[in-house]
Amino acid sequence: MTPSETAEEQATEATRPKQTSVNLTLRAWLRVLRRESFGLVALLLLIVGILGPISTVFLWAFTERWRYPSLLPTEWGIKYWAQTLSRADIGSALPLSIMLSLVVTGLSALICLPAAYAFARMRFPGRQLLLLSFLVTNAFPRFGLYVSIAIVFFRLDLVGTVPGVILIQLINTLLLMIWIPTSAFQGVDRALEEAALDVGASRLRVFVQITLPMVLPALGAALLLTFVSTFYEAQGALLIGLPNVRTMPVLMYSLINNQVIVQYGAVISLVLWLPSFLLLAFVQRFLRGNAVTAGLGV
Amino acid sequence: MKKNFTRRGQNLSTLLGYLPGYLLVAPPVLLMLLLIFYPAAQSIVRTLFVANEGDGLRSFSLLRYTDFFNNRILLWNLWFTVWVTLLTVAGLFVLCMPLALYLRFSDSRIAAAVQVLSLFPLFVPGIILAFALIRFLGPHGTLDTLLQTIGFTSFRTPYLRPSGIIFALIWEGLPFTILVLTAGLRQVDNALIESARDVGAGDWQIFTRILLPLMQRSVLIAFCLNFIGVFGSYTIPYLLGPAAPQMMGVSMQQTYSEYQDKLGAETQAVITFLCCALIGVLYVRTVTRQRIGERN
Repeated sequence: MTPSETAEEQATEATRPKQTSVNLTLRAWLRVLRRESFGLVALLLLIVGILGPISTVFLWAFTERWRYPSLLPTEWGIKYWAQTLSRADIGSALPLSIMLSLVVTGLSALICLPAAYAFARMRFPGRQLLLLSFLVTNAFPRFGLYVSIAIVFFRLDLVGTVPGVILIQLINTLLLMIWIPTSAFQGVDRALEEAALDVGASRLRVFVQITLPMVLPALGAALLLTFVSTFYEAQGALLIGLPNVRTMPVLMYSLINNQVIVQYGAVISLVLWLPSFLLLAFVQRFLRGNAVTAGLGV
Repeated sequence: MKKNFTRRGQNLSTLLGYLPGYLLVAPPVLLMLLLIFYPAAQSIVRTLFVANEGDGLRSFSLLRYTDFFNNRILLWNLWFTVWVTLLTVAGLFVLCMPLALYLRFSDSRIAAAVQVLSLFPLFVPGIILAFALIRFLGPHGTLDTLLQTIGFTSFRTPYLRPSGIIFALIWEGLPFTILVLTAGLRQVDNALIESARDVGAGDWQIFTRILLPLMQRSVLIAFCLNFIGVFGSYTIPYLLGPAAPQMMGVSMQQTYSEYQDKLGAETQAVITFLCCALIGVLYVRTVTRQRIGERN
């Protein structure tokens, strides 16, 4: 045995425990990689496909100049925010959009919530059939239906008027505003209400103090979903509202088609997104309660 | 005689007892009749009964429809719509089924991230999506530059091509499809899957023999709503699609607004109703059956 060999042996012996631990962590990582390979590939594709387009809008909103082969904006800045927000068409479209969404949500609640209570609590022949009939709002191809409605509205002189836009936007809210509250009212424990009645509470007091607090989260979800989806409704408003009633989403059509300055569209997109972020903040509660799918009859 | 009278009185009082319920549900039901059934029925009648040139009297005629089916451009648009719809729905299932299965059976942190990202499009309205995709997929867009920097130069933009519409519509339909499919998968008991595995069933067998039959309803609902949704879409195909062929939504809008041909637009609308009628019936029947099954 030459001294160099022993030295080598000693060296390998010294490093062996270290190597195995490296091998172990490496193997553990490989195992995670293999087990999670599908998830990792999916995650990567989703990051590129979902976050890619979204982050592009964010980048453009804070860009002053972006020359083509550059991966990121060549000059950053918020110059276009002031320019965009001071545009006259936006100054009139934003309040109109907010007003329309509030009115449609309010009207929808006024019309649908009492009906939802009746569907959940009262007994009358044809109740189930009537409740299911609201599914029909989903069974028509949307734009074809809008064209049919537009022709009726044209004869009634509702085209280009605010009431016309309110009516066409109400259609989309019916199913959601009836099905989510109906299942909420059905979920209330009747025994609690009866106990309160037994100890002498009035019916109104039982409704306000017992029934209402229990359905409030679902009602809030229905109202918020209705408000946000109405705020973004573009096709009905485009067909019925033009030329006089121009909401924010309708304004976006013309900005996308005829506007050379990209930043205008990007800034408006971010402004338009605000209600959606509001919704995103409540998302946990929604998805846990399956509110989104309940509104579609799943 | 007296007995008969009291029974009639009881009948009247039960009928009166139903009245508050009917009064409360009347407003939304009437609104739906007026805003959906009435316009749709009117369109069907008006396109089938065409006014004569001479006396202006209406008589039954299929003229509107023969006109449509003799117009090559419109026919091309209809075929294009059917193809885009089928490809989009197929694409959605190919993407969402594995994702839904993964989300159902994995509770790792990566799965949580995948779920958040795949549900994110729920919060992106169509009009903003169109704008974002033009900047992302369009010529000289972000994806183009990204691919250029890693040395891939033969990028062909899907913007203003059918693939652009399909990409955007899949993007839009992703969260809804995943929600519906995972909701269906969640109803399958873990014990059932484990016992199948115990007797030697492989992954594929478990999927086709246990999961798929048990989530049939979710699959049907996802299929129907996606089909009808894509068929009746307008914003995405208008902003991202080619000038010709057009999807029916764009074609209708052009016929209605630009050519001022209301009857022509109405005929196209009724044709889209007919194309979706079967799917619509399937959707209503699927949900109805489940509801009635739950009640029993």
